[in-house]
Amino acid sequence: MAGVGDAGGLRRQRLLTHYDKSRNSYVEGIMEPQCKKRKTKAISTFTWELMPVLSDEELCEVELLEAYAAPIINKRQTSCLIKQLACIYPLNSLPHIKRVRTCRDKNTNHSLEIIICLLRDLNCTDVPNGEISLSDLFPDGKDIGIGLGEPFQVMIPACQPLTRPQFEAASQHWPTTFHENKQVTNALRGHLFNTEERAKVQTFMEKAIKAAKLGKEIGMEPVGAVVVNPATDEVIAVGHDCRNGPNPLLHAVMVCIDLVAYGQGGGAFNHDRYPNCHFKSEASFSGDHAFNTGKPLHPSEDHSPTGVPVNGLPYICTGYDLYVSREPCVMCAMALVHSRIRTVFYATSSPDGALGTKYKIHTKKDLNHHYDVFKGLLEGECQFFS
Amino acid sequence: MDEGGRFRPPEREEQERWMERALGTAKEALENGEVPVGCLMVYHNEILGLGRNEVNETKNATRHAEMVAIDQVLEWCRQKDKDREEVFEHTVLYVTVEPCIMCAAALRLLNIPLVVYGCQNERFGGCGSVLNIPADDLKHSGAPFQSIGGYRAEEAVELLKTFYKAENPNAPKSKVRKKQ
Repeated sequence: MAGVGDAGGLRRQRLLTHYDKSRNSYVEGIMEPQCKKRKTKAISTFTWELMPVLSDEELCEVELLEAYAAPIINKRQTSCLIKQLACIYPLNSLPHIKRVRTCRDKNTNHSLEIIICLLRDLNCTDVPNGEISLSDLFPDGKDIGIGLGEPFQVMIPACQPLTRPQFEAASQHWPTTFHENKQVTNALRGHLFNTEERAKVQTFMEKAIKAAKLGKEIGMEPVGAVVVNPATDEVIAVGHDCRNGPNPLLHAVMVCIDLVAYGQGGGAFNHDRYPNCHFKSEASFSGDHAFNTGKPLHPSEDHSPTGVPVNGLPYICTGYDLYVSREPCVMCAMALVHSRIRTVFYATSSPDGALGTKYKIHTKKDLNHHYDVFKGLLEGECQFFS
Repeated sequence: MDEGGRFRPPEREEQERWMERALGTAKEALENGEVPVGCLMVYHNEILGLGRNEVNETKNATRHAEMVAIDQVLEWCRQKDKDREEVFEHTVLYVTVEPCIMCAAALRLLNIPLVVYGCQNERFGGCGSVLNIPADDLKHSGAPFQSIGGYRAEEAVELLKTFYKAENPNAPKSKVRKKQ
């Protein structure tokens, strides 16, 4: 396997060290080289970098399986070989694997190679020391071996890649299918938000920071949060942490969720003593404002307006975005699942944080709602808080 | 149940007695058209909090029975001028359904020592079903707590089944449900 780290890998490595700064190591390993023009432009305007907080599946290294492949001697037999192999070794668990690839070594006299089977498909006794011949792979003596050259061992990706970095890593071993999510690719490259959008999300986080500072002035934990309707850019609620008051569970996120409820004619807490926690009232909404126009990172998610009941108001926080100065805890992250938030932006990580640090509640498969999370927005400005 | 300031878990018979009460609360909730989850917060043999789900009436999806009961305990502490930390550290939660991840985290933040529950919460459960919040290593999120499940679980499940036969009119339409 030595020698796999080719020139492309080296180039990537160099850009990575240039890139890493305050990244978490996970992301470093799969970060793609960034477009230089873009980077200098961004740096001149913004001091922060938005990073998507992806699921472990999206961030993990590509897992590989040992397999046997062989050169196809006569190209014209390819489709016949594919059919025959599909009967003998169907590879049902690997639908993403392309059975045939073009040969990478231009100096050989064959141009295509085909996967025969996985190592685990064979009885261990068939493979005494890794050396294997066609008669070992086809013990029934079927004539399939005729069109094939000497088998060799390869590593093939165990799962379909979910992100472009995973796809590129997988393709170095064997070709796979890949349904690219362009949003995720752009997010990983830092290209998801253009200058205008970055300026916009920055203003919302600035509001959250302002709320955090006002809360701090009255002895609260310095955490602020803002709920925004991305379809109209309306600020629906602004809140700061109130846990040092009579209710220790009134974290900034819980305050905001309740303020949104007040705007919809509900609400559970009395926020009168905190004038800097406020909401936009029902009266100021106009029509179908809650219909979501932004593209979610993972579009299979239900952010559609089906959650909007007849009165034109959204179901709790459906379709809304949250800006919060530091990573929410488990309670708040799960409260946001219950509230059907669309996207969360946070500035700094928390030691027990549930959106990237200790858990990734927003990507947890078993739960009935998922949301997108970006971190690093105005991270520097928020660092002195924590 | 409390000697020398240290929390001692109640005897099994006592736990069963409180669970009986919690089930009664869940049944009342069902009769009032609410999600039939009932819970009690018991401190020195006294019920300080008695909660049922209030999500629909508050339009706040975090108003689970446990959160409602916690607020009652906080109010009790205010009125009686008691130290809330001391009270929560000696309070047992009895709830008919395993607390969700959010509630489990809230209970942990308050340093509740023990949660006794009925049936599992396969969809959101925070005491082992989906995550195990009371046992996980979270240094900045209160103390780990003990949770005991399985008390009158069948009855708790029956109540939920009865409720969900009639659909929640305020919930968004589920794609999964549409296919059925």
